[in-house]
Amino acid sequence: PQNLKCLTHNLHKMVCTWDFSSRGRRRQTDFCYTTNDLTPQVCFKTKERRAEIPVPESSITVTIKTPGTAFATKEFTIHQKDISFVPVTPHILSLTPGFPTSTLNLKWSDNGSVFPYGLDALWQIQILRKEAMEEVTQVAYYSKLTHEDVILSWNWTSDIPLECTSHYVKIRCYINATQFVGPKDWSDWSPAEVIPGKDTEPGGSGVFPLDAVVAVGSDVTFCCVHEEDQRITNMTYGSKSYTMMQLSSRSHAIRVLNASASNSSGTNVVCRLENGMDGSVVFVGYAPDTPQNLSCETSNFLIIKCTWKPGRPSGLYGARRTKYSLFERISSKNVSCEVNEMNRDRVCGFPVLPDQKTYDFILGVSNPIGQAQSSLLVDITQRVHPKTPEKLTVTGNNSTSIQLRWFINGSFTGIRLLCQIEIVSGHSEKKLHNVSMPGGKSSSYTAQLNGLHPNTKYQFSVRCSAADHFWRWSDWSRGLEQTTSEAPPS
Amino acid sequence: DSHIQYERVGADVTMKCGSMDWDAAVTWTANGTDIDESHLNGSYLILKNVDLSQSGQYSCYEGSSWHLKYQTNLRVGTPPKEPVLMCRSNNYPKGFYCSWHLPTPTYIPNTFNISVVHGTKDMVCEKDAVPKNRCHIRYIQLFSTVKYKVTLTVTNALGKNFTTLTFDEFAIVKPDPPESVVAKPVPNNPRRLEVSWQNPSSWPEPESFPLKFFLRYRPLILDQWQHVELSDGTSHTITDAYAGKEYIIQVAAKDNDIGTWSDWSVAVHATPWTEEPKHLTTEAQITETTSASTSSFMAPPTTKICDKGAVVGS
Amino acid sequence: MAAPDSPSTALRRRDLCSRGIRLAGKMRADVVDLLDTYVEQQGLDASASVAAVEGVPLAAVERWDEQTGTQRLLENLAAYRAFRALLAQMLEEQREQLGEADAGLGRALAAVLLQVSAFAYHLEELLRLESRGVPSEEEDGPPPLPRLSLFEQKLRGLGVLRELAQWAVRSARDLRQLAKPSPATGTGPGLAESP
Repeated sequence: PQNLKCLTHNLHKMVCTWDFSSRGRRRQTDFCYTTNDLTPQVCFKTKERRAEIPVPESSITVTIKTPGTAFATKEFTIHQKDISFVPVTPHILSLTPGFPTSTLNLKWSDNGSVFPYGLDALWQIQILRKEAMEEVTQVAYYSKLTHEDVILSWNWTSDIPLECTSHYVKIRCYINATQFVGPKDWSDWSPAEVIPGKDTEPGGSGVFPLDAVVAVGSDVTFCCVHEEDQRITNMTYGSKSYTMMQLSSRSHAIRVLNASASNSSGTNVVCRLENGMDGSVVFVGYAPDTPQNLSCETSNFLIIKCTWKPGRPSGLYGARRTKYSLFERISSKNVSCEVNEMNRDRVCGFPVLPDQKTYDFILGVSNPIGQAQSSLLVDITQRVHPKTPEKLTVTGNNSTSIQLRWFINGSFTGIRLLCQIEIVSGHSEKKLHNVSMPGGKSSSYTAQLNGLHPNTKYQFSVRCSAADHFWRWSDWSRGLEQTTSEAPPS
Repeated sequence: DSHIQYERVGADVTMKCGSMDWDAAVTWTANGTDIDESHLNGSYLILKNVDLSQSGQYSCYEGSSWHLKYQTNLRVGTPPKEPVLMCRSNNYPKGFYCSWHLPTPTYIPNTFNISVVHGTKDMVCEKDAVPKNRCHIRYIQLFSTVKYKVTLTVTNALGKNFTTLTFDEFAIVKPDPPESVVAKPVPNNPRRLEVSWQNPSSWPEPESFPLKFFLRYRPLILDQWQHVELSDGTSHTITDAYAGKEYIIQVAAKDNDIGTWSDWSVAVHATPWTEEPKHLTTEAQITETTSASTSSFMAPPTTKICDKGAVVGS
Repeated sequence: MAAPDSPSTALRRRDLCSRGIRLAGKMRADVVDLLDTYVEQQGLDASASVAAVEGVPLAAVERWDEQTGTQRLLENLAAYRAFRALLAQMLEEQREQLGEADAGLGRALAAVLLQVSAFAYHLEELLRLESRGVPSEEEDGPPPLPRLSLFEQKLRGLGVLRELAQWAVRSARDLRQLAKPSPATGTGPGLAESP
């Protein structure tokens, strides 16, 4: 026996192999080993030229006896430094494609249970593409072994749609066992896992990505998968023709840099073939801006109306439009807002909740490209903006005083109202008369104006607001004209 | 045996005297006239930068025996340029014809081959006896959105070229101009002219495929035409003519629903009726000035006329 | 051979036909305008050849001049019912994809849909005039439309509008055939025999 070599995958066991100086029929051999003088020798018979034995702390003595041959016995002393440590070839547990986002999710076991705690493991993940399996990227991934089998997960976003051509992933690992003095090496590469491209599927033709939404300024690759016998004449993005790259015999691609905003129906990516055409639509827009000037008020203590400035238009419409939702943290109530993307002002209504004055709003804004939010903490009793007073009428009238009545829609029972009456008469300038009164529930309010001139035509109008914590006046009511009666003869 | 040798204008031509050696004594003639020794290189005839005038029969005779050793017909010409192809339906819905010509002559024989494809169907283009550069296709389908693709390939000894036209069925419908245009004054109406015409005889089914018409008229003394579009009928009375002024009148036609306007019809002239001058002696005759004289054919309008998307003129 | 018409029926048919011809002409003009707007708004190539789209009735017909009047009316009716469903689908997709953006295109589509519905009703009237059974909608109803990608939806829309523009011309021609006085009696021919 000669050329004894030992290799370990897990720092516990090692596999030793040898060969014989003379060739000949495979013989039964006696294989014995002992790690040091204290432990008894372990022997077993084998016809193989390999044997699995423990990895020694420092050295191990191996005796190989081949009965019935000259020079039958050979003894070897193997030191740890002579033993190679090559981790076992890792196996990919799953490779999951995320077609809409062109992402790959890789999961594998770190096989940590076979190693002592706390070893540093370095993984290399290799992504390959096309029929020729050209390397796209190679990434290093670090993990710490915990003496348990841990499933590691890693995501990768491809710069081209996964449908365009097949993608392959391989991994290998290197374990930095500092206490092990023997030579250490990378494991073998794992078998490659593949995500087949559409160019491997019969009838898989089309333009990809299909109906994607991307941010303005993105660099995007589009590919045209076609049948083997079809000759592709050109690929256009919008109205511009682009130079094509061949990915496989059934797949060609173009690369669009710094994509500009598309119109409402999206930008067409068209692949013209000898006898037909295929296409896709891409919507290039903006992520929503953070809503500005978020403000909430109530006009009737029934509905809280929040408004805000949306910022830059997203350029996305219909199914891809920017969507708004109003979440109130205290009540955990969420309301989605119906917003017309064509007009600039945004409004959303939230119901006034019983026995809740303070509202902690989060206005959430999202579209397929991104999201944003604004928040507002508000006490609605300090945000009362009554509706315009209606049905302003005169309920009493004499030569020097007039009693007015008006109606305000809304429930103000919890607060006091401050109303301002504008008094205009022919020969005097405009006067304002303030009056405050307890709020009612969709009720009328009255005020008495004294000190008027007899037989004089007056023009009245009224507006109201919250008496405590003024926020905003209502609009002025419609004007009312009334003449005081003549003074009684003195 | 004499054969034809085609060469491009401007080419350098070398002719060998059949199987004679380079240094053999020979005599070359062009159309029977001896060629000067300066054109010879040994027994080879060298013609530099040939032009059209050098086409002709070239013969080579052995020096002493005057035995004809080689003869060829040199034809100097050019490869064909991209041919000009035009397709039109003037007898819709029967079919359409395509005609073609070369933008510049090639001075050597050319062969034309035309293919007509409708979607995936090859259609037969039946060559017209006269003119030779025209053929016609019968519609198998009507009202089709599938485009017609016509490819004309022209080949001669010096090269090949082709032109392709792709069009919709409706786009090439262009009737011939209206025929038998007549314009007459209306007695006792000094400002009226009565114009009548007929559908072009080439239009097969005016009842099912009615034509509409476009009338233009102007007094000879003015340049500005007046127009009137008529959706049916083949006559019209002009009611705003200048009294006593001679008018020139033309009519164009178009399918009621599709295609483009025809060229303008032959122009006719007419002068509205005028009052018989009172003091004139009895002999003065006022002859009706009805004439349908043919003025020089007015070049078809090349600008768009009324109908959206309709372009007249070829 | 159907018995020739009574004068009143012939008069009524000719009236219906001429109104139908005018409606077809107006519809075609509106569809052609809509086609221009649609092509521009959808970023399509006006000269693009669009393969026959499933579910879209083809106006192309062979031996058109040999069709009987009933064939003409029934084929027209089936086509315009199909276009009604196709245009309604386009309108729905339009709202879904664009929301309030480009409401102009939505309005134009709705206007053409209205005309197509009116024309279908007109054809039914003509069939009733000839005491021909009007096929019920289920019999004629178009098959459910397959879910398409956005680009395929755009192409289908282009195909629908192009075919509708062709149909409008064909319908006008068909109605002219129907309106043609019968040579023998000078009255309108029975539908069965109006080549």
